[in-house]
Amino acid sequence: MTRDDLITATAAKLRLRRDDFTRVTRVLLVSLVSVAVVVTISAVPGCGATHTLLGIHEAPAVAAGSVPLTVDKARLIVSRSFDAAHLGATTTGAAGARTLRGAYSSEGLRAMAGRVKLASVQPLRATSALRAQHPTLLAVSRGFGFPRFIIAQTVESDGGLPVLHLLVSPDAATPYRISMSVEMVPPAAVQPFAPLSRGSLMVTHGTGLVVAPATLLNRYAAGMAFPAKAVAKAPFASDSFSGQVRAGAAGVAKAVATQATFTQVHTVVPRSVFTVRQANGDALVFGAIERTDTFSVKKGQSVNTSGNKAFVLLSGKKRIATRATITTLEFVVFAVPRSTGPATLVAAREQIVAGSGS
Amino acid sequence: MGIILVVFGAWVVVKLGPSGEAQFSATSKAPGAVVVPPGVLNAVDGQVRVDATRRDGGLVRLVVAPSTDARAMLTTAAVSTVGAAHYPSGTLDLHPSGTGELPDVSTSDVWRQAVKGTGTAELVVDQARAPETVVITSGDTTALTDVTVSLTWADRAWFFEALAVATLGAVLAAFALNDLWQGRVQAAQRVAANTETTEETA
Repeated sequence: MTRDDLITATAAKLRLRRDDFTRVTRVLLVSLVSVAVVVTISAVPGCGATHTLLGIHEAPAVAAGSVPLTVDKARLIVSRSFDAAHLGATTTGAAGARTLRGAYSSEGLRAMAGRVKLASVQPLRATSALRAQHPTLLAVSRGFGFPRFIIAQTVESDGGLPVLHLLVSPDAATPYRISMSVEMVPPAAVQPFAPLSRGSLMVTHGTGLVVAPATLLNRYAAGMAFPAKAVAKAPFASDSFSGQVRAGAAGVAKAVATQATFTQVHTVVPRSVFTVRQANGDALVFGAIERTDTFSVKKGQSVNTSGNKAFVLLSGKKRIATRATITTLEFVVFAVPRSTGPATLVAAREQIVAGSGS
Repeated sequence: MGIILVVFGAWVVVKLGPSGEAQFSATSKAPGAVVVPPGVLNAVDGQVRVDATRRDGGLVRLVVAPSTDARAMLTTAAVSTVGAAHYPSGTLDLHPSGTGELPDVSTSDVWRQAVKGTGTAELVVDQARAPETVVITSGDTTALTDVTVSLTWADRAWFFEALAVATLGAVLAAFALNDLWQGRVQAAQRVAANTETTEETA
């Protein structure tokens, strides 16, 4: 039996004409092949047809200049930190200390711990600024590097001076915490930063500024020493804060002259300098300076310190016979121009943090 | 061609349903977090719903962050990373890696969104801030085990696109069948004409 005879016989068995049988067979074959093709191409991972139909594509690349924080998230972080700071400052004991550690970091935490210790002699006035209902966000970080920052401003509810707050996250696992809160010095103003949606860049090397931030703070600290040391070609304009510090040191030295020798040293706290570029190319520089007041008691003398309540609280000493030191943190914020002119002090605050004596 | 389009279009219509939902899931048995990387999460333009269900009913936390931040958080931690999504089987590949401890993700500020739930939790991620990564954890540093992760993409346009493909295929197939039928009729007419001519000649 030939192939044609077989087809004819099969068609006859199915009671079909030979031509109809051939067409039906072709349609069935095409259908089966179609189903097989569809199943095969759809089952292949990364199948082009399915991907095209569903709109599947490669994930977009990371944009280096994007802002990791949304504005809403930044506001939440600031509110959370301020709430914790206020709670920590107004809660006593271990719970208060734990809350403060969640709100503040580095020198900010040291200063706040000192402030809480001295609450009985130094009222916690500045914390009322943290209760501001709507802190103003000034700047957030641009890019995905660390550390990241948020700069916010508050105005005390009783109409006091505006306060600049720097919040820093040092790495992905560590949340933003308040690194420093510094009262502005009248009549200073802060130039605008880039829009929050674009973020602001951190300046790491000081290029593109009239003076490198680290150099500026080192020379500013050196200029406040007592006994005074001349600072040639100071890169900063004179300001009321350093004037008060120097005048205060001279006054203390004079007051204790018969009983002790007074010296004062200012040292920039390592890794405390933080610089953020502003929209016009200038920069805002935050820094912490540690001031050490040293009293070397003269031979045969004894100094009654009970008048200095802060020192007594921190050191537990009401009388010293040899030596006493008081450590104070000075937080400063400078506006540093891009090309010409001196840096100007925008904000400053000091806080006694430690005392010891013998 | 018409039949191919009918079969493909109709099959996709049935798979997606009127809501245009494509769902993929996998169960992670390896201890650690489950990570949905941007290659999966941001592969389409629409929203992605990520569901995680713990078999033991414990706490589950879903967080999403820029992919670089998520990588920085997890570094050497033990994780199961979602690989390819298989269609139409609806399965996901999971690739375990790392042996380190998982950091406490709840304290970090890198997460753009976070949700938590008891036993199950769900997070919807849009594509506005892609590339991003979803991390599924127990909510603290304890490792997750036996958690089922589902990813759902929904786009009604997919349903209608598939329907259009099936319809186009049906039209093409109808034309082709009609052509076949006409060929059959013409062949029958030719046979009849030949028969008549033979009878007249005889």
